[in-house]
Amino acid sequence: MIDGLGSTGTTPLHRLPAGVKLAGLAVIATVLFVVREPMVLTAVAAAAIAVALSTGRGVAATARDLALPLGLVAAIGAVEWGLGDGEVAACVVPRLVALLFLAHAVTLTTSTAELAETFEAGLAPFERLGLIDAGRAALTLTLAIRFVPLIVEEAREIREAQAARGLSIRPTALIVPLVVRVLVRAEEVADAIDARGFPPNKNSNM
Amino acid sequence: MERQWPTETTDTTAPIGQTIVFADVSVVRDGAIALRRVSATLTERRIGVVGLNGSGKSTLLKAIVGLVAPSEGTIAVDGRDAVTEARAVRATTGLLFQNPDSQIVFPIVGDDLAFGLKNHGVARAEVGDRVATTLERLGIARLAERRIHELSGGEKQLVALAGLLVIEPKTLLFDEPTSQLDLKNRNRLRGLLADLPQQAIVASHDLELLADFDRVLVIEAGRIVFDGEPAAAIATHIERSA
Repeated sequence: MIDGLGSTGTTPLHRLPAGVKLAGLAVIATVLFVVREPMVLTAVAAAAIAVALSTGRGVAATARDLALPLGLVAAIGAVEWGLGDGEVAACVVPRLVALLFLAHAVTLTTSTAELAETFEAGLAPFERLGLIDAGRAALTLTLAIRFVPLIVEEAREIREAQAARGLSIRPTALIVPLVVRVLVRAEEVADAIDARGFPPNKNSNM
Repeated sequence: MERQWPTETTDTTAPIGQTIVFADVSVVRDGAIALRRVSATLTERRIGVVGLNGSGKSTLLKAIVGLVAPSEGTIAVDGRDAVTEARAVRATTGLLFQNPDSQIVFPIVGDDLAFGLKNHGVARAEVGDRVATTLERLGIARLAERRIHELSGGEKQLVALAGLLVIEPKTLLFDEPTSQLDLKNRNRLRGLLADLPQQAIVASHDLELLADFDRVLVIEAGRIVFDGEPAAAIATHIERSA
């Protein structure tokens, strides 16, 4: 999913401000959980798929991006159906599909910097109340997006090194060295962020 | 041998630098002494630091930007204390980490350069121009919209360097800048280093890189055991490492 994040483009969704997209997503998500008409929800899901495809990402790439969460949605639907509640399944599946595609459309058409800035602006009232440091919360979001591919790459390196030494794939053999590497990396990243002058000067013009 | 560098300049090719003073500095990290009673005044344009792994090279660089606090002594950068005035010191002094993946915070190249500018309070209107100019200067303007995890090791190193240069520091600190680079990128970095007007302090095992520097410090178990001309410093390092 990370591959498509913040892709550049000139579609109407790309041009829409990040705040508007996120607010719209929040409103639609809320409405979707109130609606209980399978036909309406299915129509919204179809529209959401069309919106996601309008970003220019392409059918194959979008399917690849969302394969895992769509699989989970299918599993949830199957469980509901298996429990004998077909009506609930007919609502839950299109509702989650709609949310997945809309959220994907937002992340595809919004840069991480824009997302972080909007997130920070949204949290500003809570910062004024002394409840949260909005800048740090926004940086956390950025770091999560930045380091997912890096952690995946490190996991692959560990797995390859273990395979080269004849070790069969075992979750515990992978997790322990991965956690150690991630912790060491986290310390380096924290130093680098400090060295680059974070947190920002509060008197800045930004 | 010692020279004073202008603190402000409008000429982008004129040398820029600071006076960095270590006054009897000792650093203890994880219960071990990383630096022992280091005293030195660094003013030259190109300063090398050599030593075996764990000798204290990285600690010395981190201490200059206040990432590591001395347990004894003080470090001053153009008269500002590296610990108590760390923000001011970091606005004029950039540290390039050994692994660029640890240094690059944003997933997109241009956004990462903007991160440093935002931290240092640069006006929003200036950010785009400065990012574009810096990427152009390093010959990597084509990478502006690229995702970091798609870049090669050499490209990441250049992006990390661009992230420092964009804030227009007076001094650049390089921690093993060539250790992860192939020959082509190593030569490219060497060329860039030669052209940079900023003062540079480079900790490296790459003795060839340091050969034409103004001054080289040899560090052993946290102490400066030699401080002088590169040829003599490199010979001392090789002899003591044998």
